Amino acid sequence: MGNSSISNLRSAFKLKQFSRKYLSIPYGVFMVMFIILPLVILFLYAFTERKFDGSLTLNFTIANFKEVFSPTNLDMLERSFKIGIISTLACLIIGYPIALILSRSTLKHKNVIVMLFMLPMWVNFLIRTLATKAVFEAMDIKLGEFSVTFTMIYNYLPYMIMPIYNVIEKIDNCLYEGARDLGANEFTVLRKVTVPLSLPGILSGITMVFMPSITTFAIANIMSNNTYILVGDYIYSESFISFNVASAISLIILVVIGISMAIVNKYDKDGNAQGGMM
Amino acid sequence: MDKQKALKTTTKTLSWTYVLIILGLLYLPIIWMILWSFTNSATFGTWGEFTFKNYQDLFNGKQTKVIFSALQNTLIIALVASTLSTILGTAAAIGIHSIRNKRVLNAYKTTNQIPMVNSEIVTAMSMMLLFQVFRGIFKTGSQLELFEVILAHTSFCTPYVILNVSPRLAQSDNKIYEAALDLGCNYRQAIFKALIPELLPGIIVGFVMAFTLSIDDFVITEFTINNRDTISTLIYAKQSGKRALPSEFRALFTIIFFIILGLLMFMNKPQKSLDNKGKK
Repeated sequence: MGNSSISNLRSAFKLKQFSRKYLSIPYGVFMVMFIILPLVILFLYAFTERKFDGSLTLNFTIANFKEVFSPTNLDMLERSFKIGIISTLACLIIGYPIALILSRSTLKHKNVIVMLFMLPMWVNFLIRTLATKAVFEAMDIKLGEFSVTFTMIYNYLPYMIMPIYNVIEKIDNCLYEGARDLGANEFTVLRKVTVPLSLPGILSGITMVFMPSITTFAIANIMSNNTYILVGDYIYSESFISFNVASAISLIILVVIGISMAIVNKYDKDGNAQGGMM
Repeated sequence: MDKQKALKTTTKTLSWTYVLIILGLLYLPIIWMILWSFTNSATFGTWGEFTFKNYQDLFNGKQTKVIFSALQNTLIIALVASTLSTILGTAAAIGIHSIRNKRVLNAYKTTNQIPMVNSEIVTAMSMMLLFQVFRGIFKTGSQLELFEVILAHTSFCTPYVILNVSPRLAQSDNKIYEAALDLGCNYRQAIFKALIPELLPGIIVGFVMAFTLSIDDFVITEFTINNRDTISTLIYAKQSGKRALPSEFRALFTIIFFIILGLLMFMNKPQKSLDNKGKK
């Protein structure tokens, strides 16, 4: 009797205490374990000395960062930045008009065309890259800088189009009409209304193309028969040699991504430009 | 007036020509690959003869055993990881939705964003190190690697489940849950019988998205797997040698392409009706 009343009391207490917000606790714990902790470990590896078996020591050093910026690596970093900038600019120049045309179109089935542009994003990039290599080989084009840059553009173009498309889609038609009524011609409307308002999309597109294009490994490697190494491939090969150096360069990338996300969030408060995946 | 109209039509034609050209270029390699999956020639340059041999070899040839064991790993990882992500993510979305403390809410939202915005290779590297440290502490070897890959996949898939469930929650009427409680449901019943059915379309899309992301992943898998292969890591291992990719892989690519196409069409359907609801 006493026992059951205590358990009754306990269950009543529990129920009263239950709130839906507690359902977020398992994922909270999971995030600490599998999102935050891995980054903390990465940070520790980046700042500690290398041990022969790859285990973590607590002898702090900045030697790993010196190694990252060693003269041989500077070439690779410069090359990566060059390829990153060229691909991002090319994606912007090629992609912006497409986003504009698609979002302004009144075509009934434009959703199908938009989906056609998104579909390649979902096909494994290794398959896409190997397919591109096949085309290059069949056309007898030499594999090297050009083929690597082309494949970057080919792989990342949809990531530029989608956020810009999403933002332009949401621009109120009244703004165009207002501008026209006030005497602006189509070009002025584009320059003074569309482009400034689509800036969050452009920024988001840039972050979705620039960093991935230089850090994704395998693309440069496959498209140049391993003669043209970029940051991603460097991290991959370094991960077999020294976890610490690979961590140091990963940490730098993480910081750059953090900064660029902060900039994008500042300009895109409603999150319009995000969620470009679908 | 006529002149202006003519100009407009020309611009329209020109712009659509441009869109179609870019679209064509985007699909050229994929179509090329599909086309060449129907020939038996070893290289891409010379067309042999039209045949289904690659498809036959895929199911009954030299590579079959390797491919199917990789496929099995891929599916195990994807199914377990997307199920885990769906459960974790749905619970988290419901939980996050009723958190009122701004700081806690921001902490959740920011941390949840990390896997989505972070460079894949950084996530992969950090996951690899995490398991390295785990193995050092618990003195385990690579026998748990499938489990490790599953955890890594769950970690980058769950945010996408939340991404799909949260908008449904925002649209759903909070009163349904409360009414269920008032009508005598306990909390479990109110969640499973009133709330979850309401969220189901979002949950399903989230699951399919997590599944697709998982089977599609290469970078994170390559870093966290050691002795086994998934389809992606197998493709990477096969292409890195001096010899050309075995021709049955073209058949495999073609099949994967159409599976992804199907999944994408499925994902887009409920999503669209969801969007329309949001617009009203």
